[in-house]
Amino acid sequence: MRSVVRTEKLTKRFGALTAVDGIDLEVHEGEVFGFLGPNGAGKTTTLRLLCALIAPTSGTAEIAGFQLGRDDSKIRAAVGILTEQPGLYERQSAWDNLVFYATLYGLPSPVAKAQAERYLRLMGLWERRTEPVVTFSRGMKQKMAIARAALHEPRILFLDEPTTGLDPDAAKTVREFIVALRGEGRTVFLCTHNLDEADRLCDRIAFFRHRVLRIAQPDDLRAELYGRATEIRLVPKPRAEDLVSVQAVPGVREAHLENGSIIVASADPLRTNPLLVRALVDGGAEIAFVTERRAHLEEVYLKIVEPIE
Amino acid sequence: MTAAVLAVSPARPTLVRAVCVREWREALGNKLLVGMTLLPPVVILVAGIAAVAAAAVNPPSDRDVQALYAAAPAVAGLDPKEAVQGFIATYFLILFMLIPTVVPLTMAIYSVIGEKASRTLEPLLATPVGVGDLLFAKSLASTVPSVIVTWAAYGIYLATVISIGSRAAAQAVTAPRWILAIVVLVPLLTLLSVNLGILISTRVNDVRVAQQIGGLVVVPVVGLGIAQVTGRVVLDNGAFLEMTIVLIVLDLAVFWLARVAFQRENILVRWR
Repeated sequence: MRSVVRTEKLTKRFGALTAVDGIDLEVHEGEVFGFLGPNGAGKTTTLRLLCALIAPTSGTAEIAGFQLGRDDSKIRAAVGILTEQPGLYERQSAWDNLVFYATLYGLPSPVAKAQAERYLRLMGLWERRTEPVVTFSRGMKQKMAIARAALHEPRILFLDEPTTGLDPDAAKTVREFIVALRGEGRTVFLCTHNLDEADRLCDRIAFFRHRVLRIAQPDDLRAELYGRATEIRLVPKPRAEDLVSVQAVPGVREAHLENGSIIVASADPLRTNPLLVRALVDGGAEIAFVTERRAHLEEVYLKIVEPIE
Repeated sequence: MTAAVLAVSPARPTLVRAVCVREWREALGNKLLVGMTLLPPVVILVAGIAAVAAAAVNPPSDRDVQALYAAAPAVAGLDPKEAVQGFIATYFLILFMLIPTVVPLTMAIYSVIGEKASRTLEPLLATPVGVGDLLFAKSLASTVPSVIVTWAAYGIYLATVISIGSRAAAQAVTAPRWILAIVVLVPLLTLLSVNLGILISTRVNDVRVAQQIGGLVVVPVVGLGIAQVTGRVVLDNGAFLEMTIVLIVLDLAVFWLARVAFQRENILVRWR
């Protein structure tokens, strides 16, 4: 898999404060990469570094094939950034805002207009293109800001809290847009506090607090920290002998009763679960459901990020 | 498959045009800014025309004429009515030099502090444009309207004085060194005021505070006017040449200082 972001010991200090402490990152082309961490962890500083907005104190980075510090203008042309605040020219229309930015990205006038139209339609704002942005809702402004970030078809899109403060409908549009970008082979670097969103959208997640604490796929993190658990609900209720027969199945690491279900942890559920079902049925149990028990990403986050405090 | 990246760094004329058009649209939508831009030239223009017209209608007293001959030997020997009109017409010209110090300052300050307040600088700086080019474009966006407004006000003043004033008044306002001064010194003074406004705006967040500090730029011009009225300074060709050289040096120095303050990282990390 090709890397579009690669950093080596990337560091940013502001006086005595080390905001970003020697991070080594590798983000692959076409993936949605989640960047999770508490407030003040240095996420925005990292984003600014990777978008060539500020210079690193030390370390190196290659973004979209360009060297940070040497090809900064090319990096800024190859990436798009959604900043924390929409930062739109509110007295001006949606159309004027986007055409202005398209021009600053060097798009020739006909292309600039075509791209502005494409993204206004995509975000459902075409009908209101002539209205000043000041009349837009928070969600509409956020959609405008995302359209502005994607207008020049960047290879990598850096999104800082894209759904914060949005109503469910607007948040859904934004999430669908992120999925569509991935479908086009674009890379999305997603900074978020919304763990559910990260869980649903991200191929890989980095937990971050001034340095990278962990990078993995969400499911692998869960499995690593909590094992792969299966929940078996019996009717009317599990009996003591049901638990004993489950514990005797090869591959079962641990099993216990919880709220009328048997919770089973095993290294390889795909192999173990059919054996569990057979053992229970042979023992006369009535099975209502067999489901995968997923730990919430919040639990993973708290386990990795919180202990540092 | 990855979509083709369309972006490149835009050509400087394209960038300048885009920034200017955007800033002018923004300025035209701000009634306060439009009012503050137009008020000084209108007041100076109306006062200048009214003074020349009043001198044409009301003959000066003997005492006034004697004082005038003493202050401005150049008009000695002319008909008193003519001399007074010529004197007034000339001395109002110096007030036209105030327009480029006052008008663009407000626009330049709004151009930076407005962007700071609305948090529009970060997305702007995330584009491939260079900050030097951006600063240059912003300077021009404030300079051009101010120069046009000053030249337009001077044009109206010129036409009115020629049509209602005496021969001496007409000669005074059409003197080649004054026309040259308006053509050369006005843009230089405007650039100085604009870049000073930008420089101040990098340090403060309140438009009024920035205006008060920036307002100090009018002091040398007012001082020059007073010195000329009291006969302490004669604005001849040599004086205009010296002023031009001083202004060019000051313009370059202030633009350099503004460029130093207008750094991508400074703006994002230190500006509040």
